[in-house]
Amino acid sequence: MRRPGMLISPSTWRRIGQTLFLLLFLVLFIKTDYAGHDELTWAVNLLFRIDPFLAVSAMLAAKTVLALLLPALLTLGLALVFGRFFCGWICPMGTLIDFSRRLLGPAGVVFEPGQRQWKYYLLFFLLAAACFGLPLAGYLDPFSLLVRGLTFAAHPALDHATTTLFTWTYQQAPEWVNALTEPVYALLKKYLLPFGGKVYALSVFSLLLLLVALGLSRVENRFFCRKVCPLGTLLATFSRFSLFRLAGGSAECGKCRQCRTVCRMGAIDEARSITPAECTLCLDCLTHCPRSRFHYGWRGQASNGPSIDLSRRAVVTSLAAGALAPLALPSRPLTHRAEPTLIRPPGALAEAAFLGCCVRCGECMKVCIGNALQATWLEAGLEGIFTPRLLNRIGYCEYNCTLCGQVCPTGAIRKLHKAEKQATVIGRAYFDKNRCLPYANGVPCIVCEEHCPTPDKAIKFREAQVLNSKGELVSLLQPYVIDTLCIGCGICENRCPLSGKAAVLVTSAGESRHAGLSATDGY
Amino acid sequence: MDRRQFIREVFLWSAGATLTIPRFNILPEALAAEKPQSLLSVAKGEEYSTLVARVLAPLGGMKQFVRPGDRVVVKPNIGWDRSPEQAATTHPLVVQAIVAQALEAGAKKVLVFDRTCNEQRRCYTNSGIEQAILDLNDPRAVIEHIDPRKFVPVNITKGKSLTKWEIYKEALDCDCYINVPIAKHHGLSRLTLGLKNSMGVIGGSRGSLHHDLGQSLADLATVIKPKLTLIDATRILLRNGPQGGDLKDVSKTDTLIASADPVAADAYATHALFALSPENIDSTVAAYKLGLGEMALDRIQVLTA
Repeated sequence: MRRPGMLISPSTWRRIGQTLFLLLFLVLFIKTDYAGHDELTWAVNLLFRIDPFLAVSAMLAAKTVLALLLPALLTLGLALVFGRFFCGWICPMGTLIDFSRRLLGPAGVVFEPGQRQWKYYLLFFLLAAACFGLPLAGYLDPFSLLVRGLTFAAHPALDHATTTLFTWTYQQAPEWVNALTEPVYALLKKYLLPFGGKVYALSVFSLLLLLVALGLSRVENRFFCRKVCPLGTLLATFSRFSLFRLAGGSAECGKCRQCRTVCRMGAIDEARSITPAECTLCLDCLTHCPRSRFHYGWRGQASNGPSIDLSRRAVVTSLAAGALAPLALPSRPLTHRAEPTLIRPPGALAEAAFLGCCVRCGECMKVCIGNALQATWLEAGLEGIFTPRLLNRIGYCEYNCTLCGQVCPTGAIRKLHKAEKQATVIGRAYFDKNRCLPYANGVPCIVCEEHCPTPDKAIKFREAQVLNSKGELVSLLQPYVIDTLCIGCGICENRCPLSGKAAVLVTSAGESRHAGLSATDGY
Repeated sequence: MDRRQFIREVFLWSAGATLTIPRFNILPEALAAEKPQSLLSVAKGEEYSTLVARVLAPLGGMKQFVRPGDRVVVKPNIGWDRSPEQAATTHPLVVQAIVAQALEAGAKKVLVFDRTCNEQRRCYTNSGIEQAILDLNDPRAVIEHIDPRKFVPVNITKGKSLTKWEIYKEALDCDCYINVPIAKHHGLSRLTLGLKNSMGVIGGSRGSLHHDLGQSLADLATVIKPKLTLIDATRILLRNGPQGGDLKDVSKTDTLIASADPVAADAYATHALFALSPENIDSTVAAYKLGLGEMALDRIQVLTA
């Protein structure tokens, strides 16, 4: 329904705004990739730096002010003035939830969105846990969920589908068809698709989590935003005091409940009063009110929004749970011995600080030019899921590349200059001589030595006379590692021509981020 | 049995096999004895953009290799994420000049590519080669990233170590394939020159070629056949190859070597640039044995431009 005299309804304006912000997000997402320069100009980290929930959580974990995340204050400030417009207009997750809504069929209209308080308890738990050493914020943050799902699964799926189609036309279609399709493919490759066919650990799992967040709208409109999203909850606590808000309906409206029916957040009560903490300013009530009663403006003498009906007991419990849960963590074996194959990207902070600051956004894995950075599963504990690690058999750390540190929104991976990065040890290689061909089979190889990127090669070779598997005495070159030169980039492990496990392997031994720290293991 | 019957029976019993064209397995040594000497041209100078024309002049210029309307492939070494002065990749000015010469000779299209070892985009960018081709500003000059769809399995019938491998279609389909390696040190093969540069047009897991590298490269050379090998020795890498990274390992030699004989080019470069004997390079010896070219320095006629 359109208001008379209005060419474009307020809802349409909001939809245009949402579309533009979603496009901006997608452009930044695509731009989070190497583009012919060592320095990136734009990346999707911009979005994470205006996320106050991640900012608070990371700063509580780090017990320090992280300058990179200060722009998030702006978001909070705007919420104090204008309300929770961020969720209704800007958040790409909210937009996708709205846009995918039609695919899910009608949800029952729920006037009273009960159980509204749980998301506050969740927020309190997450923040307390972050402060006391169990950082879980990235698991539920909407941006993290979204960027992970897109990076790990959606974008590669798009690439796979496109490449399959155009491979088929390339191989099967006549010349004149290819004259049309190949330029299209080239354009898509240039502007839309990832450069190579990338693969990601936990891709399907990440996609499922994203789909759950979207699909919950089937139960109740914007379920994720109403009942889960910790970022929205944080903004809600501030929006309660907002200076501008929507108002206008009253009990006099009688039986017309048009506004309540269309409200996606269930923010309008029977008295047609709008709860500013819940209202995301989608403006649907404004558009659909048959009497045009609603208006957005200065709150005037109106009081703050109704305080949330939180039980003191539950608040204390959630805070206490957050504070006490981390106490269970040191009982795990990884306190004494970290998983040796857990190799963190160059510039990563020492493990505890790294886990505290990492928001699981997956950007480093998106930008990793070698496809080496992969999501960790349980190797770093429950709180380490989705944190980046190098899997050298999938990819290796490119010697001259510093992109992961550039895109990390929080500085969990520090931004390093090229020379710094090349001096950063993330692990060390060793040879499995039982498998390495020149040792085990008397077959020449040293592909590892060829690829070793340090100017003074960390993998060297010496000539040796060995018996090969035919019993012949052959002279060949056997590789070995100079520990002090190896930085653990993993190209040797990646390029080892043995099938299956490589004969040259990298472990986190000697990583420089823990240099000088007293080790908890060993003698 | 009379003569007619004899002939009839021979045809019958041999099922017509005697009607096929006779083939003689001529030993390469025998062929080499009759062959004219391999021609090779060397030029020195600091103006790399004009040096290409100079080194080709004694061989008859680029028009000797590229005919009007030809589809040309220029295959430099873009294997590593290194800058031109680090001498791990072919000099961009050399590549640019070759492409320009081929265009001038009337090529319909000149395609430049390499299957790199480091990340493709970084290699193309930091070697300076991508920009050098774009700077030509000619739609006929194209530099493309490797397209995995274009690898086709090829039977290497004369191969001793390799009998089948995936090869980039463009390298096989073109009218003129120009190989432009950079001369540098290599741990396993001692040097990497023209024959080794062919590894940039093959697919698959290339590491396994290392198990018998010299013979594998010679086998590849039986199917990947450059009309012209132009070795870039404007600067060479003496140690820590094939990647280098330290300018102390680089020697500025301002030299280009050109020949239609891929083995002669490698043999000459081995001796002239690195003071090694061609016998030290397995791939040179293996290719010579397969009759792919000349490795004896005294049978290579060197023309100095």
